[in-house]
Amino acid sequence: MNEQQTRDLERAIATDPRTHELGIRLQVRGDHLVVSGEVASEARRAMVLEVIRDHDPGLDIVDYIVLSAEPGPGEPQHEQIDPPRR
Amino acid sequence: MPDPIRVAAVGDVHLADDLRGRYAPLITNISEEADALLVAGDLTQHGTVEEAEVFADEFGAADVPVLAVLGNHDYHSGAERDIVRLLEDRGVAVLEGTSTTIDTDAGRLGVAGIKGFCLGFSGRCAADFGEPEMKAFTGHGIETAARLRQALDALEAEEPDVTVALSHFSPVDDTLVGEPKEIWPFLGNYRLGEAIDETGVDLAVHGHAHAGREKGLTPAGVPVRNVAQPVIQAAFRVYDVVPRRSA
Ligand SMILES: [Fe+2]
Ligand SMILES: [Fe+2]
Repeated sequence: MNEQQTRDLERAIATDPRTHELGIRLQVRGDHLVVSGEVASEARRAMVLEVIRDHDPGLDIVDYIVLSAEPGPGEPQHEQIDPPRR
Repeated sequence: MPDPIRVAAVGDVHLADDLRGRYAPLITNISEEADALLVAGDLTQHGTVEEAEVFADEFGAADVPVLAVLGNHDYHSGAERDIVRLLEDRGVAVLEGTSTTIDTDAGRLGVAGIKGFCLGFSGRCAADFGEPEMKAFTGHGIETAARLRQALDALEAEEPDVTVALSHFSPVDDTLVGEPKEIWPFLGNYRLGEAIDETGVDLAVHGHAHAGREKGLTPAGVPVRNVAQPVIQAAFRVYDVVPRRSA
């Protein structure tokens, strides 16, 4: 895959109706296609990888996608915003 | 010091069926923490009515008023009008060049909202010049900021104790740090920041920049918070905004 094809595939991940993921980055490293970025669920990670496989990049796909931290219970964080001094 | 008005906010929840159940349990009792919940756009992943229903199910669980703006993802399927109708039916107020007020124990909260658009910031900004396509692009950015300003001007007549500007696109570049600089012109719009600076806003809240950072200031020093969920990594943040002392 050359640079142009890599960028085209990034755009395909942004526009494919299965994904619409705008934050996925691709880099070619030797025989590897490194996929990075953040998605919100395992299902969305699988879809990104499926779209990439459909484009048959001919490289070993390295999945460095991270999952967004799931908002868990616990104390909500408060921050005080003071009025401007004038 | 007067009591603060407690403003909860989150953006970019990008809901679809696979994320059902992620937010509702965390916001059912949000009135213990906040007086209102603001949602800064990208409510859905693909902009479908089905996904908006997931949003309404999740955020309808909140026991305080929920105010939202749409984001670019919510426009993708061309169903934004249906989405707004559904959300309004389900009790979520959707702001787009409009404002609303909420009376709380600590005073009146005024919120003006707009999706916003691209344009960029000082030194790396699209110019209203050349081809019609370029003028359409920049024109939408400029128009959206003018509409935010109108909404904020109109809000002044309601005499809010605290004024919040809610947008999807960023009004400043401070909160974009962490995003590749090449895409900053697609993440926000300095004209939104100007509108905020010229209308007595106490706090600006936005989303869209998933890889940005939470805190920034406008050129005139108004606090700006990027509440994109991947940035805050929580169901919401709460800003306890202290009203200005009456003169
Ligand atoms: Fe987003
Ligand atoms: Fe967005």
